[in-house]
Amino acid sequence: MNLIKTMQEIVGIDRATDAPVQLYCYSSDASQIRGTPDCVVRPQDTEQVSRIMRFANEHDIPVTARGAGTGLAGGAVALEGGIVLDLSGMDRIVDIDINNLQVAVEPGIIHSKLNEALEAEGFFFPPDPGSSDMCTIGGLIANNGSGMRSVKYGTTKSYVLDLEVVMADGSVIHTGSKTLKSSAGYELTRLMVGSEGTLGVITKAVLKILPLPKARTVVLASFETPELAGEAVVKTLSAGVIPSACEILDRTTVEVLNAYNPNISIPNAGATILFELDGTQSSVVEESETVESVCNPLASGIRIAADRDEMEEIWSARMLVGAAISRIDPNRTRVYVGEDIGVPIKEIPRMLKLVQSISDEFDLPIMTYGHIGDGNLHTGMCIDMLDNEQWERLNLAADKIHKTAIMLGGTVSAEHGIGSARSEYMRLERGGALDVMILIKRALDPKGILNPGKLGV
Amino acid sequence: MLDVDLRSVLKCVRCGACRSVCPVLEEVGWESAGARGRMLVAHGILQGLDVDDDVLESINTCMTCGMCKQMCPAGANPISVIENTRHRLVMNGNMTEAQAKLHERINGTGNSLGEVSDRRAWLGKYAGSIKETAEYVYFVGCLGAYRYPESLIAIFDVLSHFDVTIMPDEVCCGSPLIRTGFDADKMIAHNLEQIRKVGAHTIITSCAGCHNTLTESYSDEFEVVHVSEFLAERLSEMELKRLDLTVTYHDACHLGRWRGVFDAPRKVIEAVCDLKEMKTNRENARCCGGGGGVRTGYSDLSLALAKKRLEEVPDGIDYLITSCPLCTKNLIEGGSDTDVIDLVELVRLAME
Repeated sequence: MNLIKTMQEIVGIDRATDAPVQLYCYSSDASQIRGTPDCVVRPQDTEQVSRIMRFANEHDIPVTARGAGTGLAGGAVALEGGIVLDLSGMDRIVDIDINNLQVAVEPGIIHSKLNEALEAEGFFFPPDPGSSDMCTIGGLIANNGSGMRSVKYGTTKSYVLDLEVVMADGSVIHTGSKTLKSSAGYELTRLMVGSEGTLGVITKAVLKILPLPKARTVVLASFETPELAGEAVVKTLSAGVIPSACEILDRTTVEVLNAYNPNISIPNAGATILFELDGTQSSVVEESETVESVCNPLASGIRIAADRDEMEEIWSARMLVGAAISRIDPNRTRVYVGEDIGVPIKEIPRMLKLVQSISDEFDLPIMTYGHIGDGNLHTGMCIDMLDNEQWERLNLAADKIHKTAIMLGGTVSAEHGIGSARSEYMRLERGGALDVMILIKRALDPKGILNPGKLGV
Repeated sequence: MLDVDLRSVLKCVRCGACRSVCPVLEEVGWESAGARGRMLVAHGILQGLDVDDDVLESINTCMTCGMCKQMCPAGANPISVIENTRHRLVMNGNMTEAQAKLHERINGTGNSLGEVSDRRAWLGKYAGSIKETAEYVYFVGCLGAYRYPESLIAIFDVLSHFDVTIMPDEVCCGSPLIRTGFDADKMIAHNLEQIRKVGAHTIITSCAGCHNTLTESYSDEFEVVHVSEFLAERLSEMELKRLDLTVTYHDACHLGRWRGVFDAPRKVIEAVCDLKEMKTNRENARCCGGGGGVRTGYSDLSLALAKKRLEEVPDGIDYLITSCPLCTKNLIEGGSDTDVIDLVELVRLAME
């Protein structure tokens, strides 16, 4: 059995490699997880993926699907060698079907490129990850990613109607249909969403799309403490306003945003909330007035973004703030660990306080920001990468952050995925449900070749 | 040049944001062909990754266009890491044949093209009237001198109205050497001596690569201005007629993104005709594919990238204007349907 020769026969000589430089480049994503594959293959269609899977299954070769490799938990890292399937070249929009409110895409399409194409038709695919300009839809589906607008629009799973999936043995199935709803049997689409390539390889997706809202506005509200900010969010939601985004930024995050793009100049305070409201012109005006009146007694300052340009600048800087924290100190770099917890909305102020005490305990500055409207909090820690002692404190802090989130009834990953970076917490968070996941995994991938070492299964 | 240091490599958080802007990654597809991949490879080399042809290709197929550096949210500088890695490799004898030949040509002949003929042959009608000293010295550049003499005559037709001369014995500015990992101290020292002889306080450039190198790597005793900046400040002194033309402008990476010269070329163009912008422009302008040694070492890739840039030329224009002879060359050889001319050639048309 000659792996690379077989792969080159399937996809062509220029699309499969075992060159050391490529294996090195494909041995990581944005997490700290490392694993070197035996070869990297860039298939162009479902049939090639199917042939690759059939061969891998026959010869017990691990297969790890990868989009843009922007994951934060090692989901696309080949822990046990084998084949990395780089699907970023399968990036076509197969069909924009406005009449059926859906779009069919290949997994490698970049999120922002899909939305650019849909915008021309007056539509959009609502989940909006910070990595919109670089992440693939395949990766987004495999991790059930979302983003800032999930408070109103939900996560990716709400928009996937059908998936074409190559199973471990190379067979190809469709998990759903083109209908907007179906009661026909097990919900395999939702099983595949968030399965991180452990149950099959997604080669096509049919996604539900929505008409673009006619108007948007952003309200920036500053608060002296995160508790006041949390109270303002709860009161806003209970006043009947569901913002299209509701972001909390701590003092450090605002400093980073202002440093990254000095045009923004968000007033610094103990905590800042960015409310985005979308809808019709009149509903947006009415809702922003409600937000202002609800926040007024609690906030130290409120203002509305001047125009569309300012809104775009705020959002584009916010989207990349996770990496931008590295700019604060030339000797420190952002390390993505413990960065994606989710807690019940009402626990956000408490979680923020506990993160602060973890920061104090381990003497590590922690930037906190996130989607307060849906309970998803991102923590950003920067260390000197050459200092082993800082690494140790970082990992201990991340561990405590994860366990604290679980203790508050939350999750270790709200949108970035488990991969292998967080798999050790699956038992603690999911309990006996993990055993069911393991049974499903064994049923669909008896040889365990699909992305081994992930999700705790 | 500094050797690559570990800390600058570790500034990359591998978020992949640069994937969305790297034109080489878009063209080639493999992770090693993008800025993040090159940062990883640079890291690998420091950790003992064997240097083979694939490693050299990864490190050497970057045009140093600077899109990744400009947008990197983490504040990493992939361009500096790549150039310093090239330097480290070259110092250890790891280079491609194209790099070795380029080095040999420049050191042997004083120009990047290996020409042995008179560098001042383009002067033609001006040969007998070049002043020994002047306030301004025009740095001609290798490509202009040997490949685009008609552009240089047009430039000199314009510059001769001012107190401008050229150096008696100009050699390559050193840009191709620095970009590909070599030291250019010899070239720089020679040119500095020449400039001092002329007694000029300001160097005028018409090539983006020369402009960037003279600004960044030469003594700060001289001011360096691009010819577009020089002319933009003197439009009122020049009797320019309005041309019935619509043109588009290609921002050269090393003049625009690297040195921030965006407004002056546009001011000059709009003084003589109508300007219609390319699809990407100014800070976000796509690279022509020519820089960083890619045209010399990987011409197929370079020309494929030129074609991509040419797809951004708007409809209904008379000329594609550039401010760099390397961009001019690459866009012409990339198959431009529209005539590609230097900015000063356009000005020359408005002086007729």
